[in-house]
Amino acid sequence: MPFFSGEKRKPRAGFFKFSCCTGCGFELAYFQRSLEDTLKSFDFTFFRLAYSSGALEGPFDLALVEGTVTEPHQAVELKRIRENSAVLYAVGSCAIAGGIPAIKAGGRELEIEKRVYQKKLYRLTSMRPSVLSDYVKVDGCVRGCPPGRRDLEEALVSILLHRRPEFIEYSVCVECKLRGNICLLVDEGLPCMGPVTNAGCGALCPACHRACYSCFGLMSRANIPALKNKFRELGLSGEEIERRFTLFDALRLKK
Amino acid sequence: MNGENTFQKNYEALISRELLAAWVEGFKENFRLIGPAGGKGEAEFREVFSFNEINLDYQSTMLPPGKTFLLKPVEEILSFNITPGGPVAEEPPLPDRKRILFGVHACDTHAILYLDKVFLGVFPDPFYRARRENTFIFSLNCKTVSGLCFCHLVGTGPFLKAQSGYDVLLTDMGSEFLVELKSVRAKKIFSLEGRPPEGRDLEKKKELELELLKNFRKDFKADGLREVFLSRPDHPVLKETAEGRCLSCGNCVMVCPTCFCHDIYDEAGVSLARIKRMRRWDACQDYFFAKVHGGNFREERQARLRQFVFHKLDYEGQFGVKGTVGCGRCIRWCPTGIDLTEIAKEMMK
Repeated sequence: MPFFSGEKRKPRAGFFKFSCCTGCGFELAYFQRSLEDTLKSFDFTFFRLAYSSGALEGPFDLALVEGTVTEPHQAVELKRIRENSAVLYAVGSCAIAGGIPAIKAGGRELEIEKRVYQKKLYRLTSMRPSVLSDYVKVDGCVRGCPPGRRDLEEALVSILLHRRPEFIEYSVCVECKLRGNICLLVDEGLPCMGPVTNAGCGALCPACHRACYSCFGLMSRANIPALKNKFRELGLSGEEIERRFTLFDALRLKK
Repeated sequence: MNGENTFQKNYEALISRELLAAWVEGFKENFRLIGPAGGKGEAEFREVFSFNEINLDYQSTMLPPGKTFLLKPVEEILSFNITPGGPVAEEPPLPDRKRILFGVHACDTHAILYLDKVFLGVFPDPFYRARRENTFIFSLNCKTVSGLCFCHLVGTGPFLKAQSGYDVLLTDMGSEFLVELKSVRAKKIFSLEGRPPEGRDLEKKKELELELLKNFRKDFKADGLREVFLSRPDHPVLKETAEGRCLSCGNCVMVCPTCFCHDIYDEAGVSLARIKRMRRWDACQDYFFAKVHGGNFREERQARLRQFVFHKLDYEGQFGVKGTVGCGRCIRWCPTGIDLTEIAKEMMK
């Protein structure tokens, strides 16, 4: 029964955070024109950025989870959230692809910890980064760093209307053309990640004359070797290419 | 057409660049003027406020004029509210602003005629029709040819041969412009003063075209492709190009002046107060384009590439003409330089 059809109870929602910058949470809290409607339509029983109190237990009609799993207790918490939620969406590149916290997946844990923290490493409980879907079933991916307005809204509306969400699933190039941006990769030879990156940002960087750096993560079935070849033709070194592809997608590409 | 209009009026004239400028400037009062502007990088079609902004020597633009201004990249086609009594729909007003689309090359004019077949055919689209009826198309014969042009092979250029479907045809004759009023409405509305062209002027126009034809670099046999496509739909060149170079980014089809596919989807705010039904250009190179209930009928990348190549170079059964107008945009804007004419040549071997 859709929630708009006169049902008294509002859907219960929770917003959870693991290792990340909390940018996705901020995006929801700063959901400018829609924040009031969002809080009117949903009963956010857990959303640390908006309310200091909140019940972690659930049950939830919708769980939005941001961040990468990098500590043992997070894995436990994630499993509990899953068991108490009807629908769980991964929000943001960290939760979906590993994002920035997963850059460390490229090396050995102890060596990276030594480089960053130097001593008293026994205090660290950090472990190898994992995406949410390594632990639990994820019902949808709200891509972005942070997500675009459209997909975030789609996630919430899908719950209100009881339908399957239709998240954006095409390349940044499509959005660039819709916006009329002159192609930076073709016209200026800038190493733009647009052709393999999932859209949703509205081609923000190319519109500001900056090459896309794939913060929304790779789109599904991207032709990675073909773009790497193109970058080689542009004169980029192997390391430069590797860095571009593993900035947000280290986990998916290392596997 | 009434008698007094046909009497005394010139439908063809040679006028100087200055007079052309003054003539076009005169339309600004009643028309929004859209033309190719900018020249340092790539020219683009946009609204211009004076004739000087128009780049008459432009070679090509990234986005095609017809598709961009007649079928907008994204537009709202319907909105509805969910009320206790049920959904209440509201249609946005039809666009009624009079416009001149100035400086449309022969290939792009043919592309508009192609879009007409799609959007003014069996199921006319009210938004496209309203824009089309309110837009006067001033075509411009080409002065230069790029290495990627192949309009000469598919009969769409470099000089416009179509006799209807647009309003005015301009040809740069060097010191003067040949202006030809082509449509009934153009003949009614626009008055033209200038020297009527004589035999030697038309002779010169022909020479200019012949001169231009020498500069084409692309060469493949457009006829007979159908048999090849039908007999070898799994030709290795398709797989090699798809796996080795195709990024499935969709650039080729987004910049294509005849690619008419669009997606229709609903945009709902969280309040669900006003749900907008949107239409935007879609790209068949996306993996999810052909995903339907139960599966995806173009699962493989090469199937999607094949769809593009065949639809452009064949598929005459659909609208009676080829899907391509030979503008070369898909080659120019492909990040890895995939060239459908090269694929066709390879398949013809």
